[in-house]
Amino acid sequence: MSLQCIIVEDLQVAADYLGRCCEKSGLASVKAHFTNVPEALEYLDKNAVDLLFLDVEMPGATGFELLDQMAYHPKVILTTSKSEYAYNAFEYNVTDFLKKPFTYQRFLEALHKVGQASEQSLVQNSTDHIFIKSDGKLVRLNNDDILFIESMGDYVKFVTPDKKYITHNTIKNLEEKVNKHFFMKVHRSYIINITKIDDIRENDLFIKGNEIPISKAHKGEILKRLNII
Amino acid sequence: MNNPTLPKIFIFSEKIDSDYLFSLYADDFDYMEEVFAVTLQHFDQDLEAIEMAWASRDIPELKKAVHKIKPAFGFVGLTDVQQSCKEFEDECQQCADAGELKTSYKQIVATLAESKSLLEIEHRRLKEFNATPL
Repeated sequence: MSLQCIIVEDLQVAADYLGRCCEKSGLASVKAHFTNVPEALEYLDKNAVDLLFLDVEMPGATGFELLDQMAYHPKVILTTSKSEYAYNAFEYNVTDFLKKPFTYQRFLEALHKVGQASEQSLVQNSTDHIFIKSDGKLVRLNNDDILFIESMGDYVKFVTPDKKYITHNTIKNLEEKVNKHFFMKVHRSYIINITKIDDIRENDLFIKGNEIPISKAHKGEILKRLNII
Repeated sequence: MNNPTLPKIFIFSEKIDSDYLFSLYADDFDYMEEVFAVTLQHFDQDLEAIEMAWASRDIPELKKAVHKIKPAFGFVGLTDVQQSCKEFEDECQQCADAGELKTSYKQIVATLAESKSLLEIEHRRLKEFNATPL
């Protein structure tokens, strides 16, 4: 399956080359190219992508600033001509770092790393249950029993049909750990079980009578995951 | 008797690192022509950004502008020019006053102008080469 990606790069020749590498590989499909961060952010607010090819130094704002402002995090390959950014790349958990110009072979290696990282996260998140610490004990919750998870500052609330469990954690942390086949973040304060959605109206979704806001940034991804016929 | 078809070979100027170019694009000369064309197309605009930053003695902007054009030279095999840009960028990073950069600035601008002429010549040659049938 081809990865849906965008290129954020202000050097035309580099963007063209990257697009060509994607096309040649057949592994990545370029949905759009942007030369600055605000336009890329606007696109990413409305559209979900699997992979971001991201330059660091661009007019107005840096690639790292874009990552800071994104509501979700696709896989990222940094493309820059400065090796000094490698450390920041590590800090931002980017999948690979391509120093411009790079060979096609090197590009392929980066794409394979993306594939490996995706598989790894799928394996890590593929269990059918989680354990949470609540009321001084470890409680097993089956994925299928969880309706949604709501942020409460430094705590989160796991809501099941019968009970609510409060535990010390954050939505940001849980987003990485829950099974992505079932769960997705729909708002900075909510992760929902996608199989439990009853209906969606404008910018809210409903699960067993609970109204949950959908942020603009996540709406595209939700619609993409629904079985709309 | 038929002669076996020989691959077309283009000999680049010795100032261009052709091995490096072949490592990027193999023997796709049509694409190389395109890369040279796109680089030239944006050259003046990128150079202007450098000159404007210098005129206003804005060192961070000057550094940014040089940083932007730098990898473009890599894409056309001018790896020495890419390195010169990097060194100038480093100087910008270290200097406190634009006056300290005067000599280096003159040098880098001259290098860029020379590179543009070379790219124009090589682009024209590549175009002719690609237009010539086997």
